[in-house]
Amino acid sequence: MQRNPYLPLPMKLVKNFTETEDKLIHTFTFQFLSEEDEKSFPYMPGQFAEVCVFGKGEAPFGIASSPTEPGFLKFSVAKVGVVSTALHLMEEGTIAGVRGPLGNYYPVEQMKGKNIVIIGGGFAFTTLRSLITYILEPGHRGDYGRLTVIYGARNPGLLLYKDELDQWDQRSDIDLVCTIDRPVDGWTRKVGFVPAVTKEVAPSSENAVAIICGPPVMIKFTMPELEALGFKPEQIIMSLENRMKCGIGMCGRCNVGNKYVCKDGPVFTKAELNQLPNEY
Amino acid sequence: MIIAKNDLPGLLDKLMSEYEVYAPVKEGAYSLYKKIKSGSEACFGYVNSKIPPKGVLFPQSEKLFCYNMTGEGAKLEECIDSGKKVVFGIRPCDAKSLLLLDNVFNNDKFRDPYYLTRRENTLLVGMACLEPAGTCFCTSMGTGPFDKAGLDIMLTDIGDAYLVEPVSEKGGALAAGLGLSAAGEEQKAAAAKARDSAEVACRVNIEGLKARLDANFYDPIWERFHEKCLGCAACTYSCPTCHCFDIVDEAVDCNGCRVRNWDSCMFPLFTLHGSGHNPRPGGKERMRQRVMHKFKYFVDNFNATACVGCGRCIKNCPVNLDIREILADIQGEGRSDK
Amino acid sequence: MRMSKLAQAIRDAAKKLLEEKKVDLVVGFAKGSLPLRSTPCFIRKPEEAAALTWDYTCENNLANYLRKREGKVAVVAKGCDARSIVTLIQENQINRDNLYVIGVPCSGMIDRFKVEEAVDGREVLEVEDKGDALVLKGKGFAREVKLSDLCHDTCKVCRHGNPVIYDMLAGEPVPAKPEDTFADVAAFEALSPAERRAALAAEFSRCIRCYACRNACPMCYCTECFVDCSTPVWIKKTPDVDDNIMFQAGRVFHSAGRCADCGACDRACPMGINLRGMTRKMVKEVKELFGHEAGVSLDEKPALSEFKADDPQPFLVKE
Repeated sequence: MQRNPYLPLPMKLVKNFTETEDKLIHTFTFQFLSEEDEKSFPYMPGQFAEVCVFGKGEAPFGIASSPTEPGFLKFSVAKVGVVSTALHLMEEGTIAGVRGPLGNYYPVEQMKGKNIVIIGGGFAFTTLRSLITYILEPGHRGDYGRLTVIYGARNPGLLLYKDELDQWDQRSDIDLVCTIDRPVDGWTRKVGFVPAVTKEVAPSSENAVAIICGPPVMIKFTMPELEALGFKPEQIIMSLENRMKCGIGMCGRCNVGNKYVCKDGPVFTKAELNQLPNEY
Repeated sequence: MIIAKNDLPGLLDKLMSEYEVYAPVKEGAYSLYKKIKSGSEACFGYVNSKIPPKGVLFPQSEKLFCYNMTGEGAKLEECIDSGKKVVFGIRPCDAKSLLLLDNVFNNDKFRDPYYLTRRENTLLVGMACLEPAGTCFCTSMGTGPFDKAGLDIMLTDIGDAYLVEPVSEKGGALAAGLGLSAAGEEQKAAAAKARDSAEVACRVNIEGLKARLDANFYDPIWERFHEKCLGCAACTYSCPTCHCFDIVDEAVDCNGCRVRNWDSCMFPLFTLHGSGHNPRPGGKERMRQRVMHKFKYFVDNFNATACVGCGRCIKNCPVNLDIREILADIQGEGRSDK
Repeated sequence: MRMSKLAQAIRDAAKKLLEEKKVDLVVGFAKGSLPLRSTPCFIRKPEEAAALTWDYTCENNLANYLRKREGKVAVVAKGCDARSIVTLIQENQINRDNLYVIGVPCSGMIDRFKVEEAVDGREVLEVEDKGDALVLKGKGFAREVKLSDLCHDTCKVCRHGNPVIYDMLAGEPVPAKPEDTFADVAAFEALSPAERRAALAAEFSRCIRCYACRNACPMCYCTECFVDCSTPVWIKKTPDVDDNIMFQAGRVFHSAGRCADCGACDRACPMGINLRGMTRKMVKEVKELFGHEAGVSLDEKPALSEFKADDPQPFLVKE
């Protein structure tokens, strides 16, 4: 019989890093306790896992690390509920639980040979980081065409993964455009909302795939810009979030129409979502 | 084969030496399936139980695992129940519901070991319905008072005895081990006659219903159904096919258990995001979800309707919200004043 | 026959109110889909008013549908509904100016569980009304039961069958009843703590936490109920007896001085749990301590909304 999908894998928290200036988002690095454990957790960019704090409960978070980074898993988590608050307070060295990998992933196979446009906003950049890291891996980079990344936050302090953004900025095989909502002293990159910046950067839809994650309002206004650039619903990929518990398509709450976000998603094309009701 | 009614309590006692036996037990004015401690507790003079016996396989509350934190890390202990069970006197509609739930707990990607282990170790001894209730509409939902689907053994009341018909191999083996006497032609005829006299009077037309639901998600019709609904879970907790659940930790410090409890799509909290956003914010959306899940989404995913027509949601609703009327309304057969 | 006259009076009133556009909506009862059931209904067009009905099966407390409504609404209110309406007006949940109360003097609702018990759990398919008795008929049985034997316990002790507020009264007032003696509560109080605990455990072991009681109560309208709260977790979600009792205790404490003993919770419970055992204990406490009965008068302040120098303070340490 298949492994019990409700049982978490014990993992050690090796780093509890305050990611944003407002301190509301921390990035957690969990280490596998054995090679065997790591083998039992084969994942791809876009998948998520239930992270559990023993004594408090579990909650689903997108995996921010890439399968090309062996030995650990990373999650960037906003402090909103019981589990995330407990995580924020967790001391390094503590054993937590991780259950997964769950859900589908970005269609990295179908994306091969294509130009990739990645658009992210706020702290919905976690699985996008995973995807970017996956694509930038020397063994993979050649499989894909141009890589354009547009990433926006309200202010510089709220951008995730600042060190990596700086590294990416130095590379020639990724076009990174970071933007903030309003001008700030010392900020030399773009200023403006993601939809406007998308229009300005105007990535070509020719042989391209756009992956977009962010707050609903950003998605709502960026979508028409992508359409104007010629992106068809089949070329636009999104990742949904709904309240989840089981993560395996049984507990009944995360469905959008006849699809469960946890089992059939969270990654959907816009074309697929157009066939579903708007319950997300 | 037959079982004389007088012999039944003794037979249940005998079964109890090998199995946990769940049977309808009288609780005041209604019946509930309970684990019996004596064969004489079982009472078969019921139309159907207040709450379906799905709880034998999918309990309202169950521990998934317990954990404690030791110096070396987290120690987990799975709580899988592999005890051998018999549900004695399950109605055909409730047996059918388990066939539907099998789809959910053994889906295209994952297997639920808690439900499936119980399922493998549970025998279903059915009791044919000779007096279906006025709220029963099982025959409209692809089952019926004598449907043997999913059963291991079927019993039919023939007055002072039950006619025993093995249905599955496991049921045959169980029946063979009980040392029952063979049924005479007269007794078989009595069972056939009893069946002929039983009637499910109520019909619900679901022909074309799925096609309507495919197209009516945004229809104004949904503005009306929920208006009197209180948003409680009397319907979903008494439904044999509802399977939604919640997972919570019950713990002191870092030691405790992960528990799953029935949950209901009728509760606002069911879908509430951490951000405060709720994709199904009101009664309208939640009622639509309940209907859609049973009569469209389940059909899309498993090619079966997630309703067996047991009528419990109708009887248990505190405001007499009747699923039959909702379906009739969707079908364009309803009265507009309701 | 009296019942059908009342129903006609309600229909006429509703039709007129809608025709004259005095209200946009009438909340009342329609005939239900089962014998001895009626169902809340929402009437918006004059011609739909014919669906309205009235009899001893109109068990739901319609005040539950009136909180924070837009527009002008009329409601069919029996005695207990009217008391809940008064309390909700006091709690600023209902704007009296936008509410038209069609008061209905009520001589009691029947208890569905008593009906089931009267026929040993068999199914009633048809009912013959003989005025002061009902003939309950099903497959192979017909049993005549006095209406008074089927009357819900809450209605038996109710002294406010006549609505305390109304804009029109359908029918004649019902005769006054003697003071409630709370004999049932006194009997419970006379038990030892262990016996009381056992009695509560016996009732609440049957609770399935469907929250029908909470949701049927016009007074339970918190945006987040304490049972749903996750920080902190006040009670476990698992339906075990202790937490079930805690849930009910919390509910009862929260409705202190607000509960009109309408019995809506009790009637909503699919498991037939005696919920009034606890609610009435609180009703009695409030009455004895503060001389207050919820929702009897718009002018009287709710017990927990005011402080009087001579309020009893039994919780203070004796000097």
